[in-house]
Amino acid sequence: MALRFEVLGRFNRARAAHLTLPHFVCETPLFMPVGTQGTIKGLTTNQLEEIGCQIILGNTYHLALRPTSELIDELGGLHKFMNWPRAMLTDSGGFQMVSLLHLADITEKGVTFQSPVDGKPMLLTPEESIQIQNRIGADIIMALDDVVRTIITGPRIEEAMYRTLRWIDRCIAAHKRPHEQNLFGIVQGGLDPVLRDICVRGLVDRNLPGYAIGGLAGGEDKDSFWRVVAQCTAALPEDKPRYVMGVGYPLDIVVCSALGADMYDCVYPTRTARFGTALVPEGLLKLKNRAMSDDTRPIDPACACMVCKNYTRAYIHSLVTKDAMGSQLLSYHNLYYMMQLSRNLHSSIVQGRFPEFVCNFLQKMVCISLSLSSCH
Amino acid sequence: MSSSNSIHSSAMKFAVKAWSNGRARAGVLHLDCCPTPIDTPSLLLSTRKGLPLFISPDLLPSLPSPDSHLLHVSPLHFLEGLSMTTISKIGGLHQMLGLHEYGFAAVPRDSIQCLPEANSTNKVGASFETPCGRLLIKPAEYMEMISSLRPELWATLADEVPAWVSDKRNKTSVDRTIKWLDECIALSPTGGAVFGAIVGGSSLEERQRCAQEVARRNVSGYWVGGFGLGETMDERPALLNAVTVSNLTHIFWQK
Repeated sequence: MALRFEVLGRFNRARAAHLTLPHFVCETPLFMPVGTQGTIKGLTTNQLEEIGCQIILGNTYHLALRPTSELIDELGGLHKFMNWPRAMLTDSGGFQMVSLLHLADITEKGVTFQSPVDGKPMLLTPEESIQIQNRIGADIIMALDDVVRTIITGPRIEEAMYRTLRWIDRCIAAHKRPHEQNLFGIVQGGLDPVLRDICVRGLVDRNLPGYAIGGLAGGEDKDSFWRVVAQCTAALPEDKPRYVMGVGYPLDIVVCSALGADMYDCVYPTRTARFGTALVPEGLLKLKNRAMSDDTRPIDPACACMVCKNYTRAYIHSLVTKDAMGSQLLSYHNLYYMMQLSRNLHSSIVQGRFPEFVCNFLQKMVCISLSLSSCH
Repeated sequence: MSSSNSIHSSAMKFAVKAWSNGRARAGVLHLDCCPTPIDTPSLLLSTRKGLPLFISPDLLPSLPSPDSHLLHVSPLHFLEGLSMTTISKIGGLHQMLGLHEYGFAAVPRDSIQCLPEANSTNKVGASFETPCGRLLIKPAEYMEMISSLRPELWATLADEVPAWVSDKRNKTSVDRTIKWLDECIALSPTGGAVFGAIVGGSSLEERQRCAQEVARRNVSGYWVGGFGLGETMDERPALLNAVTVSNLTHIFWQK
């Protein structure tokens, strides 16, 4: 165990905490931007620090392909490689394997797939995933799990859940740096409460430093999504961090925090920025819209970020989808928004005004559609 | 030998500090908006719609100062998606870009995407190939852009031709450039420093003729254009010489 988790305040199931990791002391609830290839697209590490980013995510699959985990290890680990002094989390590589590669095949050994580089057959085993993550050196590493989309039904879900439990033991055995890196287990089981419960118990028995709720954020309806999160957070230990993977939309983060989750990750804020969409308290602002071309207000008058302090919607409109600077400025604003949301969640719980914060947050979002499917 | 040539306009002051044995000189440029003076010779940063290409504005101060305080702006960039009315409403370049301590030098050509199209230029205006297609810019339209953008210094509209045009075409380009110079000066807003455009292609005589004509007008500086359009590297020094021989005190030229 290489972390400490100290709850500072609560409201019902929501909690605000200090999560002490080898590289940084974080305040939860928190959102983690995704830095797929060792970088958050559009921002420097200085800017990430400035906006208050605490943990970023690296994708094991992408990094193992380029520039390889061996090179990263040789150069002192991913922190040094990308010059990020704060905390880092790597995923197992399993999700990309399944979502990016049509010919991926999951067996008991691991995930077999065709290398995108030369087409040769390759195998990612739990052992290999952990070894790669050991070389990359993040504060938190994720177990290789058998991920199945919640839209799939049938025996495959049960098979995946039990396999995930068998694989966690292999991950634990393969983990060579338990005093510097925290191995999180991932709860699977689809939308089936019985399967989810079995998985939670199995993982909790292994006494891991933290737990993730996986297999969601993939197209299931919102009610099912929240129900599964609620069930898992109710059953997972109080004194360890809970990470809902692939979430996401600001509303989902607020609701999951109310249900007792602590950590989130998603490509959504930066990806939607590259399509010209800004995150604002009212929901979304589409800067590509013609109406923006002579709107001289900032993106969000209440936002204190560099973009909102200096630029009009009209100017950003002239940049988006045409000039790289448009993506950079919007990414900056969107991540600032997510960091501010994290800070607000943490402080409102600590200061005993969480319900007021949530009501205020929901009131502003009058036009959002609750049937939005989450991103992956 | 040092000389104290200097020029003032409301936004800009320039003085030569030292001369070499040849024509090279070291100078200093003061712009009202810039907290520290800018040493010359100085390289301008390229921009796209006013902001440097791949460094975001909050990271600009990490570049060495003060040399990175002069930005080149092409007014043509703003024709895509941002009206001059809106730019005026916002308050011009400084307000729009949030860069209050930087100086802007406006020249239509950016040598990357907005390139002079000599075949389409005519007596009415200068033609440019741009990402939004081919545009014909008349002096009056150009001056509207300058008045909205309010850069610290700006070049007058020029007819830039490649090195291989006929003598006749080259001569026409000088005649037009001087005519447009007068039209631009007549419409110039208060507050910006006018840099008269000097062209003339690869002809020493035409270059000299243009420089002499421009030197007669009341301008704050000179923009030497028409380079990077087919002349060889060897030709350039002689062409520049022909321009500077009139002992012009301050020039800025662009490749």
